[in-house]
Amino acid sequence: MAQSVSEYTGAIKDTVKSFWHGMSITLSHLLRRPITVQYPDRTPMPVRDMLPPRYRGFLEVDTAICTGCQACERACPINCIQITLEKDPANPKQRVVTQFDIDEAKCMFCGLCVEPCPTGSIQHTREFEGSQRNIRNLTFRWSDALSPFPVYKVDKNAEYYPRAPLGSLLRAKLEAHPWNEAGPVFLPPEAPGAAKPVAQPKAAAAAGAAGAAAPAPRAAPAPKAVPTNGVPAPAAAAAADPVPAAEKPVTPNPETK
Amino acid sequence: MEKLILRRVDRNYEEMVLNFGPQHPSTHGVINFIVETDGEVMKRAIPDVGYLHRSIEKIGEATGYPGFMPFTDRIDYVAAMFANEGYAIAVEKLLKVEVPPRAQWLRAISCELVRIASHLIAVGTMTMDIGAFTPMVHGLREREEINDFIEALCGARLTYNYHRIGGVAFDLPEGWRDKVLAFLDRFDKFLPEFDRLITFNEIYKKRLAKVAVVSREQAISYGLVGPNLRGSGVDWDLRRDMPYGAYPNFEFEVPVGKGWAGAVGDCFDRYYVRCLEMKESSRIVRQALETIGQTPEEIMAKVPRNVKPDAGEVLSRVESARGEMAYYVVSDGTNKAYRVRARTGSFTAMSIIEDISGGLMVADLVALISSLDVVAPEIDR
Repeated sequence: MAQSVSEYTGAIKDTVKSFWHGMSITLSHLLRRPITVQYPDRTPMPVRDMLPPRYRGFLEVDTAICTGCQACERACPINCIQITLEKDPANPKQRVVTQFDIDEAKCMFCGLCVEPCPTGSIQHTREFEGSQRNIRNLTFRWSDALSPFPVYKVDKNAEYYPRAPLGSLLRAKLEAHPWNEAGPVFLPPEAPGAAKPVAQPKAAAAAGAAGAAAPAPRAAPAPKAVPTNGVPAPAAAAAADPVPAAEKPVTPNPETK
Repeated sequence: MEKLILRRVDRNYEEMVLNFGPQHPSTHGVINFIVETDGEVMKRAIPDVGYLHRSIEKIGEATGYPGFMPFTDRIDYVAAMFANEGYAIAVEKLLKVEVPPRAQWLRAISCELVRIASHLIAVGTMTMDIGAFTPMVHGLREREEINDFIEALCGARLTYNYHRIGGVAFDLPEGWRDKVLAFLDRFDKFLPEFDRLITFNEIYKKRLAKVAVVSREQAISYGLVGPNLRGSGVDWDLRRDMPYGAYPNFEFEVPVGKGWAGAVGDCFDRYYVRCLEMKESSRIVRQALETIGQTPEEIMAKVPRNVKPDAGEVLSRVESARGEMAYYVVSDGTNKAYRVRARTGSFTAMSIIEDISGGLMVADLVALISSLDVVAPEIDR
């Protein structure tokens, strides 16, 4: 590894030279215009207006031209769209959409739902600023059971479907409530074992098995139905856990079929 | 306390087992290495993969054929376009669908732009791991423009979901071609500037020279692909040797490691191969944009909405930014795939680390990982 003096000084010279090459480029950036932008308050216009038209932001549904064909629901790979169709009680020939929920918190903005839409009712907007304190506020309900909308009849000859300006409907929904509003109160999800009809055989089985000293393998899920049946609560909680195997044949899980 | 320290010295610790990662800024995502060290020198580093496993392949069996396309974006989010392309080609082979020529050109344009963006990340993060922060910011600045173009093309900056089974989703937007050509003019000037900024910096070169040398035989036997394979001096590129899509129409060279800094297959070779590949990708995009027709044409083949291929199995291969990416899709005749398997370049790149790391310094492990350009989600999928 013997290094001659000329090699040694040459390496120093190369290092200093290449160092100044790099440094000159860095220094030249003092004179260049910065490319960074101060978001969000120093932009010349709102950022959503600077985005390209194909930008895939929040989904918007124009219910005036929605045909209720459910093509978007089928196309969604993660089932974040939920549509329910019913017959109009006043006019049995007319079908109405009683539920059109899009869970924007779950949506992955892939754009697969937009493509099969026959009228262009469901579209991506350029809206992306939708932070909410409660994640349930990101479930956009484009229809509900109290005010369902009738399905749109497609005119085969029409070349153009009148659509509300893209983004206007979504903005109205977003601005309807402040970002930190409490979320809508839904009923808590019902566990299959905690439903009312299930409670009777379970309680009976729990009472029968109360004497058996079966060690609880894990913490009891404490089904809400148990205390209502008059069984002493601590005994029921201890005994309820080993029971599910016995109650299975009585109430087959609807999800397993 | 004093006693404790003395006892530790007495016991003469020669080996120490360390966890490197998963939350470590220079592991390029969440990868865990179990490092056996003796002082500053590693005995070996064992990559512990699986921290980022999201069972994407299993999801492919649950969603339909078109519905899996957005999930392929998540396999390699730095260069998602290639994952799109590989999966689309696989299902097209199953369906025996011919892709319209314009769609193939659009695929090549989008993929090569993403290759530039991905390599900018690769070389940028590599310089940052070595200790130079400025070049990474320069790289990200150029990548930002490419992201803007891709955003205008398909609506997303990272998870593109641009390719479809049978074509692509959108044609070129208005004025896009001229903007990209203007960018490529600037970009061709940027590359020499970047080289002067860091690549030919003597300290940087000496730091990477003869570090973690992967020989030609090792590279082939471990199944390295892409720039890592070419960095070891193996002249193999799918785009040239097994051309697919629009690639037979383009003229480009395949850079191969020549031992620019010292030895063939060291960290600098793998790094510099990527710098040269960016130049070739820029050439391909330029050729494609200059020859592609200005009028919109058919960009989607006729594919039924309910994709239901005949029973069979196919393998598709594309040259991704991280090397060869292969999709193995088995159909049982229903509208859901029986099996989807993705073979990615980062996984094999991880397998070689245990063999190479013996005798390296701990600090060189960082250089090795970043020169292999592994992306954590691509390892585990």
